[in-house]
Amino acid sequence: MKDDPRIEVEGLRKRFGATQALNGMTFTVRPGRVTGFVGPNGAGKSTTMRVVLGLDAPDQGRALVGGQPYRTLGSPLRHLGSLLDAGALQPSRSARNHLLWLAHSQGLPASRADRVLEQVGLAEAARRRAGGFSLGMRQRLGIAAALLGDPPALMLDEPFNGLDPEGILWIRSLLSSLAAHGRTVLVSSHLMSELQDVAGHLIVVGRGRVVADTGVPELLATLSANRVTLRTSAPVAATEALARAGAIVHAKGADTVSVSGLTGEAIVTVLNAGGVPFAELATHRATLEEAYLELTRDAVQYRGDGGEETA
Amino acid sequence: MSAIGLRQTVHAEWTKLRTDTGHAWLLLGLVSVTASVSAAVAATTRCPASGCGQDPVRLSLTGVSLGQTIAAIVAVLIIGHEYGTGLIHTTLTAVPRRTTVLAAKAAVVSGTVFTAGTAAVLASVLAGRSLLPGNGFTPAHGYAALSLTDGPTLRAVSGSVIYLVLVALLALGIATAVRDAAVAMGVVLGLLYLFPLLSHVVTDPGLRRHLAQIGPMPAGLAVQATTDLRHLPIGPWAGLGVLALWAAVTLLIGGTVLRLRDA
Amino acid sequence: MRGLRVLHAEWTKFRTIRGWVLGAVGAILASVLFLLAGTASTNQSSTQHTQDAATLPVGPGGEAVNDSFYFMHEALTGDGSITVTVTALTGVLAQEPGHTSPGITPWAKSGILVKQSLEQGSQYAAMMVTGAHGVRMQDDFTHDRAGLPGRPSAASPRWLRLVRAGSTVTGYDSADGVHWTEIGSARLAGLPATVQVGLFTSSPAAVQTSGSRGGTSPAVATGTFGHAALGGPWARGSRPDRWQGVQVGGDAGTSGSYAENTSGAHTQTGSGFSVTGAGDIAPVVGGPTLGPAYAIENFLVGTFAALIVLTVVAVQFVTTEYRRGLIGTTLAAAPGRERVLAAKTAVVVTVAFAVGVVVAAISIPLGRQRAHATHFLVFTVPRAVELRATLGTGLLLAATAALSLALGAVLRRSATAITAVVVTTVLPYLLAVSGVLPAPLAQWLLRLTPAAGFAVQQTLPHYAHVLTVYTPASGYFPLSPWGGYAVLSGWTMLALAAATLLLRRRDG
Repeated sequence: MKDDPRIEVEGLRKRFGATQALNGMTFTVRPGRVTGFVGPNGAGKSTTMRVVLGLDAPDQGRALVGGQPYRTLGSPLRHLGSLLDAGALQPSRSARNHLLWLAHSQGLPASRADRVLEQVGLAEAARRRAGGFSLGMRQRLGIAAALLGDPPALMLDEPFNGLDPEGILWIRSLLSSLAAHGRTVLVSSHLMSELQDVAGHLIVVGRGRVVADTGVPELLATLSANRVTLRTSAPVAATEALARAGAIVHAKGADTVSVSGLTGEAIVTVLNAGGVPFAELATHRATLEEAYLELTRDAVQYRGDGGEETA
Repeated sequence: MSAIGLRQTVHAEWTKLRTDTGHAWLLLGLVSVTASVSAAVAATTRCPASGCGQDPVRLSLTGVSLGQTIAAIVAVLIIGHEYGTGLIHTTLTAVPRRTTVLAAKAAVVSGTVFTAGTAAVLASVLAGRSLLPGNGFTPAHGYAALSLTDGPTLRAVSGSVIYLVLVALLALGIATAVRDAAVAMGVVLGLLYLFPLLSHVVTDPGLRRHLAQIGPMPAGLAVQATTDLRHLPIGPWAGLGVLALWAAVTLLIGGTVLRLRDA
Repeated sequence: MRGLRVLHAEWTKFRTIRGWVLGAVGAILASVLFLLAGTASTNQSSTQHTQDAATLPVGPGGEAVNDSFYFMHEALTGDGSITVTVTALTGVLAQEPGHTSPGITPWAKSGILVKQSLEQGSQYAAMMVTGAHGVRMQDDFTHDRAGLPGRPSAASPRWLRLVRAGSTVTGYDSADGVHWTEIGSARLAGLPATVQVGLFTSSPAAVQTSGSRGGTSPAVATGTFGHAALGGPWARGSRPDRWQGVQVGGDAGTSGSYAENTSGAHTQTGSGFSVTGAGDIAPVVGGPTLGPAYAIENFLVGTFAALIVLTVVAVQFVTTEYRRGLIGTTLAAAPGRERVLAAKTAVVVTVAFAVGVVVAAISIPLGRQRAHATHFLVFTVPRAVELRATLGTGLLLAATAALSLALGAVLRRSATAITAVVVTTVLPYLLAVSGVLPAPLAQWLLRLTPAAGFAVQQTLPHYAHVLTVYTPASGYFPLSPWGGYAVLSGWTMLALAAATLLLRRRDG
């Protein structure tokens, strides 16, 4: 099973009262890359993860870890490490003791607790009450717990929450190296920017279902083509020349036009060939953030209220 | 690939219990409160003449009626505090077999309450043994010194320890079912105390007898009686059996709720 | 102004948690259900009483009374006096069924009586000899004055005299018929022109005070009288030799009973009479003499269910603040910690008081109706006492809710705080009333612990001139209603002070 650390989610449906939290959620998370699990608040990310972990039972569908339902796994922390809510600690217990009871529940030696504490940089604070930890330290402790069983798959819910920039960099490199060693890594976030440069694959969800399941380069490519802003003293001539070459051109000002459908180099070639003068040419590259916003435009449930994630 | 064994889960639950200092204080409180209340009662009860109608063993074990609440707190917190902090998710992620989790918690609660309860009950009897003869509970008044070699006394003492364990298990079952420490504690205390309060009001002797037979506390504490056994509403072991039934039913409800409901 | 805003905020917090509102409503429902369960049984022995078992006679002050005695009487009009010698007071006890022995109960009474009518509970004044308390003058059930000590005998008789002048009746006693001592004088406002005058004997049942609840056994007394001399206008036309004997109240009432083969009777002895009777002329008290009957506080048994529910709610009202760090938000919104605590206290106190009053206002009439339907006696009390018990239930729950809140703030763990409240209020009460503990210990528990507060619901009065087992097990608190409540309030204040101090010292 260590050879097949995939996380599979098939046709999950779950309703909480009047809210359809999951509405046919289906995806597979593969090893060897960091998979970002993104969507607006309330899109069903946490619920999906809770179903994967056997905490919530779906009304329909199933979730498998390495081909098996989580609840049938022996020593599950050796198969899938997870972080749901870093605040879920009993405050009077020390960090090491928190990991110790988890280790005992999996038949792991106590040395694993010390090992992961070092790995997340909490060795110094190991014997302090977890109740006194900062949010960032709690996140580190939660990640330590996820790493405890040295699992081939990891699933982290909003691991960047509460981390300082240094902490965010640390998690990014940790996640990259875990994936590079052939592990399956699923990381949820409601901010695409956090996943920039680390996720190799994205599962974008909205309203309880998958909106896009795609590699990051492919996602960027599917976006409406890159736009170029052009400043020229002869906008009419430029528009005619570029339109002939197949571009779509909009006037943006007295001496500015916006061009799409052609790359910057192609535009320069066309204008030079037609003898059209131009003063400035600016290429605008789409970001992951924009791609995400475009994908989830219809799927946003709670806009502008900054409310707590409910599902 | 076998699922996580009960042994490992018990080990984990034990680690959890012993690394939370709150529990150590509670168990210490269980011993000291039980023993000191028992001693206070033994020190203040007098038997001026023979046939004063007192049960010296039961008197020396009065502290159990207070100590049981601490046993219940230990049991309620062991699950209720996990719900309060959200730790229950971590626990169920580590051990997805929920029945195993409840069984492990029951085992750890039973073990610790049994140990603390034994100390509490023995200290109570020791206090009774040394204090009661000075207050007129003498052989001249028909009372031998308390001794564990006496059959009924041994039954009352061992039964009181089992009583404490069963009350803790009852509390564990309720806390698992209601998932909130405060509400669970209210339900446990209500179950324990409201039956005897109700029998105090009931004027019909038959109904009063029934209440004493079905209430977890009055029935369970029948195991402490060593005199006048014929007039007990329920026999000592049968009474403890009633409490065991209560504990079993609440654990069953708690286990079912834990298994079926989303965590 | 700022205080009001904090109060408003805390009230909004309270009423927007559905569980807490349900808790408050549930507390009422639980206590009513509890009452219904407690009053479910039917009185099996009600047929033994020839009178309607569901009512007790009521005295002039509104209190339940026993008014059952053997009376040799004559209706006499206007003012006058009656004088008689008592030469003996003897009796029979039936401590075991089918077996009687000579003996007399301490408050067996025999003497002369001026009474408004033969109706039970009507006004009266009496001079009497008693089994163990010497000569007494008593009137209208609750008043008792001491005269000459000792029991009468042929060698040392007691002379008794009652003088009626309008609505005033004055009692005298004498050891020789020459030197008279005024014992006291009673104003009986309702006394009509024509009153019943004569000789009476009553004997309450023998009370066993050993054991926590005790028991009773039948007792009968016989008073031996010399010639009854009437004076003033009463002397005209009176014929003591033609006096009628009657058992007032039909039987011996709840406080006494005739032994087998005995009944109320009179026989002529020379110029006088000997009068035999059982029963009592006295207020009803609780304990073994009352038998199967309900006191008002019994109907309030649901208070305990309400108390536990409200304890849970009040503790949670403060501990949930700590659980998810809400306290930070609360203190950011209202930095005055004492003010927040005071506002929270005000909210739970108000809710608990309302719950308590509603519980009592439902429970008392409902309980009375249940008791009537199941043929049980209800111990009647004056309206003012009932009102005190009703408001007292509200105050009791208010004080325990404030105690819960304070302990919740001090301990911060809800399970521990709830247990602390319940084991200091309900458990001492339970231990004290269940008869497990010896009576002195039980009384100390109800003096020192917050459980003393339950005294505020007590309606059974304590009378020095009525013998019963005055222990917590029979419903008697060692402290007065408000004295007991003061103890509970004291604990609540202490806990609130500790909570304030800790809140001020502790970080968020």
